[in-house]
Amino acid sequence: MGVVLDGLVLGLQLALLSVGIVFVYGLGGVLNLAHGQVAVAGGLVAAVLLQAGQPPFVGGIGGVLAAGLLALALDQTLLQPAYRRKGEERLLLALILTLGTSFALDGLFTFRFPNLALSLRVEPPSVELAGVRVRTASLAVGGLALGTFALLLLFLKGTRFGKAIRCIIQNEAGAWLCGVDVARARSATLFLSGALAGVAALGQGFFSYLGPDMGPEFTILSLIVAVVGGVRSLTGTFLASLLLGMVNALLSYWVGTYLTWIALLAVAVATLLVRPEGLLAYWP
Amino acid sequence: MLEVQDLWAGYDDMAVVRGVNLRVDAQEAVAVLGPNGAGKTTLFRALVRLLQPLRGSVRFEGRSLEGMRPHQVVRQGVAYVAAERELFPQLTVLENLELGAYARPDGLRRRLDAVFDLFPRLAERRSQRAGTLSGGEQQMLAIARALMGEPKLLLLDEPSTGLAPRLVAELYRRLDLLRRQGVTILLAEQQVGAALSLCPRVYVLKDGGVAFEGPSSELRGSAQLRAAYLGGA
Repeated sequence: MGVVLDGLVLGLQLALLSVGIVFVYGLGGVLNLAHGQVAVAGGLVAAVLLQAGQPPFVGGIGGVLAAGLLALALDQTLLQPAYRRKGEERLLLALILTLGTSFALDGLFTFRFPNLALSLRVEPPSVELAGVRVRTASLAVGGLALGTFALLLLFLKGTRFGKAIRCIIQNEAGAWLCGVDVARARSATLFLSGALAGVAALGQGFFSYLGPDMGPEFTILSLIVAVVGGVRSLTGTFLASLLLGMVNALLSYWVGTYLTWIALLAVAVATLLVRPEGLLAYWP
Repeated sequence: MLEVQDLWAGYDDMAVVRGVNLRVDAQEAVAVLGPNGAGKTTLFRALVRLLQPLRGSVRFEGRSLEGMRPHQVVRQGVAYVAAERELFPQLTVLENLELGAYARPDGLRRRLDAVFDLFPRLAERRSQRAGTLSGGEQQMLAIARALMGEPKLLLLDEPSTGLAPRLVAELYRRLDLLRRQGVTILLAEQQVGAALSLCPRVYVLKDGGVAFEGPSSELRGSAQLRAAYLGGA
């Protein structure tokens, strides 16, 4: 029972991490390979704020905002030449630009902050819930993720700007012609994707710790989720995250953690073989 | 209302539209005719700035559209119904229409009633996804969505594409109704007969330039002109 809960929470955590990369791809036609580094940047800012004696609430908000702003800065500077191109050319140029950014950020983090880590301890370490022992950290991450998704859905389905963002994913030219400022929506999406990655970094801090070298791992995890869920589907991302989280937790429980990376990649490969467009190819 | 001067536009520095001059007055219906590849779509895309013109000027109601993005042109009161329709296939008819009013959300109800009045078919299908509509219904939806922004100028790119002759006739009856309601129309078309019946004035594009400009009656009356510019259509 505890394992299932662990899997669910891990899945939610994966979803937090991946939603941003999927979102930006669907809306901007850009795959951000520095996505994991954006998450780490947010986590490190939170860690710095906490070390400076700020309360956890301020540290958390600061970290999330910092991650969002970093992604927004990418959008406003490096990605601009990519936006001027279309389709595959845009994708390729953005891949190269964001890959370079990821190397630069990795270097910066590990060189300048080798010992900085974000670790959010919650007391007591575990609680009894309906007869099952549950890690308090799991509850914290689960609550954080569900709350964030509720806000995201409210924004996408409930606000005019959110609806505009959804329609751009279906048809960019159509959105322009309806009077939607697609460029502004794209910037907003980059910010959102960064902020969501920042929340994921906080989640990682709850689970164990977040270190300066975890960017590549985060990027790869979110890419695996994107492949399994379908790079254009938010619901697919969600399902894929839960599936992968569950696979990960069950394997760690029965076999050991050393197999989990192989298992996650195997799921991705299997998806590519069976359903190359992902579990759900389009948004609902 | 719309003044186009020496407009050049194209892709990858290859000009498709070469020095077009064109004028549309308020309440007018004007047709742009010409064979495939004459530059009609490129001209329209450049007018609404989905494509950056290479040079030349476009003025709408006396204001230059220089440097504007497409959404700003739309907000000036220019609506473009593309030949590809550019609908949101996963959204319902109603949601598509609501997005058409994105820039002007006031009076949504009244405008919905107006377009449902014009296209009763869409009212029946309001909760159906746009992607599941027939070709004719999709064309109606594309026009209706453009009207939701209460445009002053309606640009229509080949509205008859993919429609059966009976539907084309029906569509043009609706367009005529719109014209009489005071919507200014600039129409690109390959169906010469239909376009000439709606629009009293015509431009014929050939190889990216204006080859003929004048009243429809002149073109209708002369088989020679039609053969020269429109391949005998």
